[in-house]
Amino acid sequence: MILASAGSGKTYALTNRFVALLAHGAAPERIVALTFTRKAAGEFFDEILGKLARAARDAVFAKQLAGDIGRPDMDASDFLRLLRAVVDAMPRLRLGTLDGFFARIVRAFPFELGLTGNFEILQEHAALVERRRLLRRMFSNGSAGLDEAQREFIEAFKRATFGAEEKQLARRLDGFLDEHLETFLAAPAAELWGNPACIWPDGSEWLTAEPGQVAEAVTTFRGQMAQRDLNEKQAGRFTAFFEALALWSAGAPLPRAISYLLENILDEWAHVRRGSAEITVERRKVMLGPDECRSVATIVRHIIGGELGRRLEITRGIHVILRSYESVYHDAVRREGRLTFGDVQRLLLPRPDGPMLGGEEENETGGRLMIDFRLDAQFDHWLLDEFQDTSFGQWSVLRNLIDEAVQDPTGARSFFCVGDVKQAIYRWREGDPNLFHEIFDHYNQAVPGTIAEQHLVASWRSGPAVIECVNAVFGRGDVLAGLFPGTASESWNRDWRAHESARPTLNGQVAWLHADDEAARFALTVRLLHELAPLERGLECAVLTQKNATATALADYLRREGGIPALAESDLHIATDNPLGAVLLALVQAAAHPGDRFAQEHLAMTPLRAVLDRDGLHTTEALTTRVLAQIHADGFERTMAFWLKRLEPQLAPNDLFSRERGRQFLAAAALFDATGGRSTADFVAFMERHVVRDADLAGVVKVLTIHKAKGLGFDVVLLPDLEGDRIDQRREGLAVQRTADRTVEWVLDLPAKLFFNHDETLAAHVRAAEMEACHEALALLYVAMTRAKRAMYLITSPPGKSVSRNYRMLLAETLGSSARPLTVGKLACVGAWATGDTGWHESIAPRAEEAARPSSPLTDGMAGIVPALRRPARRPSAGQSGCVSAAQILSAESGLAVQFGREVHALLAEVEWREMADPAEWTLCAATPRAVAEARACVAAPRLADVWERKAGLEVWRERVFEIVLDGAWITGVFDRVLVDRDGTGRVVSARVFDFKTERLPRSGEVKDAVLRHQGQINLYRRVVAVLTGLEPAAVCCELIFTHEGARATVPWP
Amino acid sequence: MLSAANAIPRYFLPWDRPWLPQVAAWLARDWQPDGPLDLSTTLAIVPTRQSARRLREALAEHAAACQSAVFPPRAHTPDTLLAACVPAGAVATRLESLLAWTEVLRHVEFGSVAAVFPVPPVRRDFGWARRTAEAFFQLQSQLTEGGLAFADVAARATHEAERWAQLALLERMQLTELAARGRREPHEALRAGARQPKLPAGITRVVLLGLPDPLALSLDLLLAWSREISVEVVVFGPASEADAFDGWGRPLPEVWSERRIELVDFEQRVHACANPSAEAERVVAMTQCYPSPDGSIGIGGANADVLLPLERALAQVSIAAYNPEGRRRKEGGFYSLLAALAELTRDPSFAAVAAFARCPEFCCYLQTAAAGDFTAATFLAQLDDLHARHLPVDLARALAVNRERDSALGVGLRLVEGIRAMLTRGEFPQNIMAALTLMVGARQLDLEEANDVIAADAMEMWRDVLGECAAAWASFPEISTAEWTEIALEAFGESRRTIDKPAGALDLQGWLELLWEDAPHLVVAGCNDGSLPDAVVGDAFLPEALRETLGLKSNAARFARDAYLLQALAASRANSGRLDLLFARQSAAGDPLRPSRLLLRCAEQALPARVEFLFRPLPAARAGAPWTRAWAMTPRRVAPPERVAVTGLRAWLACPFRFYLSHVLRMEPVDSSKTELDARDFSTLCHAALEAMGRAPFLRDCTEEKVLREFLVAELDRVAGARYGRDLTLPLVVQLESARQRLGKVATIQARERAEGWIGLRMEWAFALKIAGLEVRGKIDRVERHEGTGALRVLDYKTSDAATPPQKSHLRWARPDDDLRPAWRRTVAAGREQVWTDLQLPLYLRALAIEFPGTPVSCGYVNLPKAVGDTALVLWPELDESLQASAQACADGVAAAIRAGDFWPPVESAAERDPFAALFHHGVEASVAWEGTT
Ligand code: SF4
Repeated sequence: MILASAGSGKTYALTNRFVALLAHGAAPERIVALTFTRKAAGEFFDEILGKLARAARDAVFAKQLAGDIGRPDMDASDFLRLLRAVVDAMPRLRLGTLDGFFARIVRAFPFELGLTGNFEILQEHAALVERRRLLRRMFSNGSAGLDEAQREFIEAFKRATFGAEEKQLARRLDGFLDEHLETFLAAPAAELWGNPACIWPDGSEWLTAEPGQVAEAVTTFRGQMAQRDLNEKQAGRFTAFFEALALWSAGAPLPRAISYLLENILDEWAHVRRGSAEITVERRKVMLGPDECRSVATIVRHIIGGELGRRLEITRGIHVILRSYESVYHDAVRREGRLTFGDVQRLLLPRPDGPMLGGEEENETGGRLMIDFRLDAQFDHWLLDEFQDTSFGQWSVLRNLIDEAVQDPTGARSFFCVGDVKQAIYRWREGDPNLFHEIFDHYNQAVPGTIAEQHLVASWRSGPAVIECVNAVFGRGDVLAGLFPGTASESWNRDWRAHESARPTLNGQVAWLHADDEAARFALTVRLLHELAPLERGLECAVLTQKNATATALADYLRREGGIPALAESDLHIATDNPLGAVLLALVQAAAHPGDRFAQEHLAMTPLRAVLDRDGLHTTEALTTRVLAQIHADGFERTMAFWLKRLEPQLAPNDLFSRERGRQFLAAAALFDATGGRSTADFVAFMERHVVRDADLAGVVKVLTIHKAKGLGFDVVLLPDLEGDRIDQRREGLAVQRTADRTVEWVLDLPAKLFFNHDETLAAHVRAAEMEACHEALALLYVAMTRAKRAMYLITSPPGKSVSRNYRMLLAETLGSSARPLTVGKLACVGAWATGDTGWHESIAPRAEEAARPSSPLTDGMAGIVPALRRPARRPSAGQSGCVSAAQILSAESGLAVQFGREVHALLAEVEWREMADPAEWTLCAATPRAVAEARACVAAPRLADVWERKAGLEVWRERVFEIVLDGAWITGVFDRVLVDRDGTGRVVSARVFDFKTERLPRSGEVKDAVLRHQGQINLYRRVVAVLTGLEPAAVCCELIFTHEGARATVPWP
Repeated sequence: MLSAANAIPRYFLPWDRPWLPQVAAWLARDWQPDGPLDLSTTLAIVPTRQSARRLREALAEHAAACQSAVFPPRAHTPDTLLAACVPAGAVATRLESLLAWTEVLRHVEFGSVAAVFPVPPVRRDFGWARRTAEAFFQLQSQLTEGGLAFADVAARATHEAERWAQLALLERMQLTELAARGRREPHEALRAGARQPKLPAGITRVVLLGLPDPLALSLDLLLAWSREISVEVVVFGPASEADAFDGWGRPLPEVWSERRIELVDFEQRVHACANPSAEAERVVAMTQCYPSPDGSIGIGGANADVLLPLERALAQVSIAAYNPEGRRRKEGGFYSLLAALAELTRDPSFAAVAAFARCPEFCCYLQTAAAGDFTAATFLAQLDDLHARHLPVDLARALAVNRERDSALGVGLRLVEGIRAMLTRGEFPQNIMAALTLMVGARQLDLEEANDVIAADAMEMWRDVLGECAAAWASFPEISTAEWTEIALEAFGESRRTIDKPAGALDLQGWLELLWEDAPHLVVAGCNDGSLPDAVVGDAFLPEALRETLGLKSNAARFARDAYLLQALAASRANSGRLDLLFARQSAAGDPLRPSRLLLRCAEQALPARVEFLFRPLPAARAGAPWTRAWAMTPRRVAPPERVAVTGLRAWLACPFRFYLSHVLRMEPVDSSKTELDARDFSTLCHAALEAMGRAPFLRDCTEEKVLREFLVAELDRVAGARYGRDLTLPLVVQLESARQRLGKVATIQARERAEGWIGLRMEWAFALKIAGLEVRGKIDRVERHEGTGALRVLDYKTSDAATPPQKSHLRWARPDDDLRPAWRRTVAAGREQVWTDLQLPLYLRALAIEFPGTPVSCGYVNLPKAVGDTALVLWPELDESLQASAQACADGVAAAIRAGDFWPPVESAAERDPFAALFHHGVEASVAWEGTT
């Protein structure tokens, strides 16, 4: 178990571990290495190969690596062997993401897990479409009106939104699903939701007051207060209180008149309960005796109880809503084999009744899923990356497999995990840093020393300046404890180890600078970047923010105000962030909804209008008809491509951006088409949500959120977005209380502070939540401050203004708060702390653009190339012309006619000579009696006698396929029947071509136009026969045979 | 069997030049060019359809060189060969076989197959049965390649024996199901056919041409034939390599797994690309180096995913591409029509109707059927309108709420209804055929017009699919019409439309076809591990271990095949020509990809360098072009309005430009996803009820809260019922509930106020004021007179969720950036500089002052917001003369500005979420070119 501080070579440790396992004889495919992001997985593999490759060709490195992995005996040739082994095992390797690994297991056990056949992973958009579809279904009602479930749903919704009768249902519902669905799936049981018995097993004093008592208490207390000699300010307070109380009902906002006294009473709550208290009213004490306390207590309990009761009700309502949605969703989506990654994981969660993942040793019974066999693998060694982000659920899925490995008696198997609790910034995504210590204890309690722990504190990323700052801030256990008393600081300090830099010579600077407000912070960012000129110096530079929105705004600002090539690595809405995409969407909308005046006018504001006019689409009618038809026939990508081409000339020649967006738009449209959808509404929704994450770009200042920066390193890092209130704020949303093994104890829609503050259970829950939040916030700052290699600049407003325990205060307490002039190179600023070399960057010479690796010149080796011959392909019968009505095609008869024709031809092809024709045999074959009859008649027809006549020297070609090059075209065709007559020398003297037509001739029996129709085809046959026989075309006789009439017609040679 | 195969003669054609011309020459080797080249008695076994085509073309060329022509050999791929050997008749189609499975699955007793279905399905419906049937059918096909049935596996399986035994049981049941219908199971028939194959008439010799992995089963068959007629194997590769192949010309895994692959100028010819589209761009770049690409360059994809980007990239530079695979009919328009029809049959929800209504076929039908006195566009517009107004959930209710029967809407809806009636009443497949014929039957298809040809093809295919279904129905009567539709639709969608190659188009070929490509320059994209060679890892039924035990195609065999093919391609282009191999580091979806293992089959000592080359970090992409504005919007300019509603002034004050868009251009979006009342609908309903209350004479003096409440609620339900029908959808029920609550509170106030002497005077009193040449119209919710004082009072009902007092909604505190605003926008109230945001109530007063000169008038809101206890009557005492005067001045100013067409500059940041956001990028003012601005 490796606790690797930031930059301390986590990947290095992992890859070494992998190599070590190989070196000690583990088969590559028996090692499972799981990471969180696909990117990380890819890099991990590349690292391993890189390492082995280098060791294989560099003896010195080989020696070193051999040492590192505890096999000093190994040399380059050994590593070459390992390299080959890994390469050959590539497809069987198990390096990937947890999600991917789980999905693979599920694919191997669909039936065992209650799925049918294959399943697809629901991507975000698809999931959204599903939700819309389901909600519509839940909303609509049969002619019988609403059903039971719907009535229940409505009741629930009323409860869930009690005190705020909703005007708009859908939005609120989306909110519920977005916020609470995960919670529900973790705790579907109704009794956990808003159930006082779970929250207060021994009852809650707040829920005791009965209406009768309350009324009574109010009257008494009012009377009691009337007797007291209060100054009229105080009297006023009480009167106001009682009046407001009379009007107030739970759920209504608490008027100041009530809250004022309530707060003051609660401040003395302990005494009030004891029956004697002094409460402050208008800065003067008011003594309350036992009787008064009793009535006051009743009133207070009534108020608080009222609110709590309402919250309990709301929570239960929410549960029912989620449950009703879930039940529909489960049947309609999951059962149909469409799963999200979350579903996949839940499928694998061990359940008392369900099957369990297991390995070979176990006997096949006992509902174990033998992953070894179906995944063609046996997993001996487990490597888990970023372990602090592993969720309890993920761990539960793996636990049994890893148990097997850890507890393997032979010790031939192993478990290895790397992570850093100090970087646990994904709690909100179920990341569960506590696992780290729990697992450690779990295994070591069983058998001490099962798991060894190792701390990595030397940073291979950051230079001394950065490390000094990190230590100065996070090393101050005392300050942390003082600012954030409780488990947050405790666990932080427990895991903390002083960092050191493994690159002592790397010079740089760290400074904490002040700027008054956001504008000033942005401005200072620009000035710093101009001073440092990182790009010109070939330094990677990043500006980190807390929120995506800030990143986007800041990047915009840097480009606009600073002329700095900055790029927000947040997701780009390529379809909506530019006029081109916007108008293409408007086009679709306008076409699908002719009445949409918005879209219509939108088109009219853009060059597209002129384009449409030029295409003759002046009216909405024309537009609708044309564009809908296009979409219908070709899908969105092609339709959009068509109009994009038309629009292209309207773009400025140098407008590369819009053209790039155009391409991205088409690519996205293609993705949508792939879903098989044709709904314009879905398309527009898809495009509006579609985002493109820019691949890592060189030569730009990257502006990104701290979360996205995790795992990355930059020469220079700027932190201009560290503002915010107290960092130990509990995350909004339902309160979910969990036990040690993470099972949910209760769920509650938490009321305002005033209402829970004096309830131990709730207050305790909130405190714990705040501790977690606090720890996560510290982790976030830690991650932010450990991205820098050389230099880091923290920019905040000057400390001291506020008293809230936020980042600014933390910095002030640890780095000192007295402002003084500081310099960064030639730039003079004000700040409170700095270290390192102010001129560090000046020593780095601006370097010239080094040319990118010359990719192989395209044209070399093409010079001598002689193209292979390519000719247009033609078929005589193809290129049929004329019109045919749809009805005709659709009619079943036409289908039969085609088949009938085929059969008759097939039958006649069997006939070599008339006397050989064996109708008996025909009737055996699959052909319809009608076809047989017609063929038979055709052979028997006196008028056609010579077609079937056998003669000496006569050669017959039946259904003979030919290939020929004629007039530069490659022609493929089939002769129905050709009779070739040879003389004694074998020279061809005559040839007759017969082409069978099964079509019915018009009543008149008129064959002329039939001949006209077919003579193109037939004369082509004539020429082919001429080539094949050496005859003159004119000498070849060609006839059409009408099988139905048994008629024949000669086709003339023009 | 190998030993037996050794009897079969093998011929080797050197791989130092392309294969195709050689094989043509080889086939023609003892031909005297005085007659036609007659190969009609030869049967050629080739890997794919496309390779057969190439062979015929090459032969034609060969003959053409001697001014002659060819009777080509009969050609088969291994699987068509097997199919051809199945005795005709009585064999079930794929469809029938699948249906037999569904029968089995729907009736099997799960207890007896617990090892196959440890978890029985919740709903054992047709859908489930079909998907499972699909899985089993595939499994049968995979096993049949090796000539195996489920039972054979059960006999040999080392693992999961019980499961296979039960699968065998299931398969037996399927066979029985078919037998009961006088049909043979197709896979079983294939295996039988291969056991005693009947020689095809007129064939005297069989040649296997360039066939590195024939189906095992087809070899049994050929072996049988080899005893009667000559069977020969032609291998692409020098005779010196003979030991690298088995008797059937299959590369030997033991040889090829170890063997090096010689690739010339490796680092020049192997290209690492960021992702598939980067690969595509690279290929296009190479293609463009040739004046006539077709014939010079041959493009192949080692996996299917690269072909689509390739096609797109080529299309963008206007190079025609030809994918021999054809296109799935699912992607065509006719399919979407059928899908829409099916959906309409399944469930006539409004969404289904709306989708169907947008099928061009329906639009045409509508146009003609409606005798053209209106257009489809009108119909669609009215349909959206109906939806926005009445929120019908399905066709029936749409018809019910629609008032004008003879409008485009009425006609259109009835046509839809008619078609649906046909679909639901009639029997499959006549019902759907009838519906189609009714809609498109009249259409004339011009067989020289591309689109019509496509349409014709689709219809023919559909006709044949239905034909097949109809045929199958005889044996499976218990399947419902809906299920049949589902089946037919899928069968149609999955079918592919293959066309003859258009002249000059570039083939986009699969990996196996490249051997037959004779273009001197080969480019292969998608050379990624997992696709080259393709490897199966993990399988629900046939994991690798089992495949090997059963002798099915194993990963090792795949590797050998692809190693050989790559070597052959490389060798054949080594001397003249060129071979480029591309691979992506990331999939389109962003998953990391690895280069093909084959690229690493080099000398050991070269391996490290190779690895470092192939896995080198790619030079990071250049920064994308900076954000650039394609164009500035130029809104239509129309004359300033002569009249506006009072609310218009508020809009103008909020943002003159957005006012222009909303009130002058009347830009309003259509929201087709609307499922519930929006704020406007909601307030309309409430107002209707309130108005009725005010107008009802018998309530004029009512002080009974209860009576008033009941009246309001009843009124609300009446209005709602009239507009949304009697049976309301779930959201509406909830929303009306909310409305009732709120109205209930009004009743309380009303009762109280009446008791205090306020009597309703006017309800919804409409007025119009001429202000600075602009007519301002308004409707006052309620005017009251106090019976004692005779004073007047104006009340406006507010249904917005938050209760704001009049002062707050009419004025806001001034901000520094307001300075530019004209003075008349500003005023001083509550002792500080404020800015007018609304003028509603002051204008009401102004109107009343004209109507009732000299009477004192007060004004205020009746708020009906959501929070309990919030509803209240809030008057506006602060509205004194001076403030009123300032409001008048402001109104004059706004009116004048509107008349003067002063709609610029816009307000950059809209108050709440901006309905016009879609128009603006990086600044409102910057997004719009407003001529005539100074
Ligand atoms: S991407 Fe779109 S939404 Fe995001 S900032 Fe740019 S314009 Fe706004």
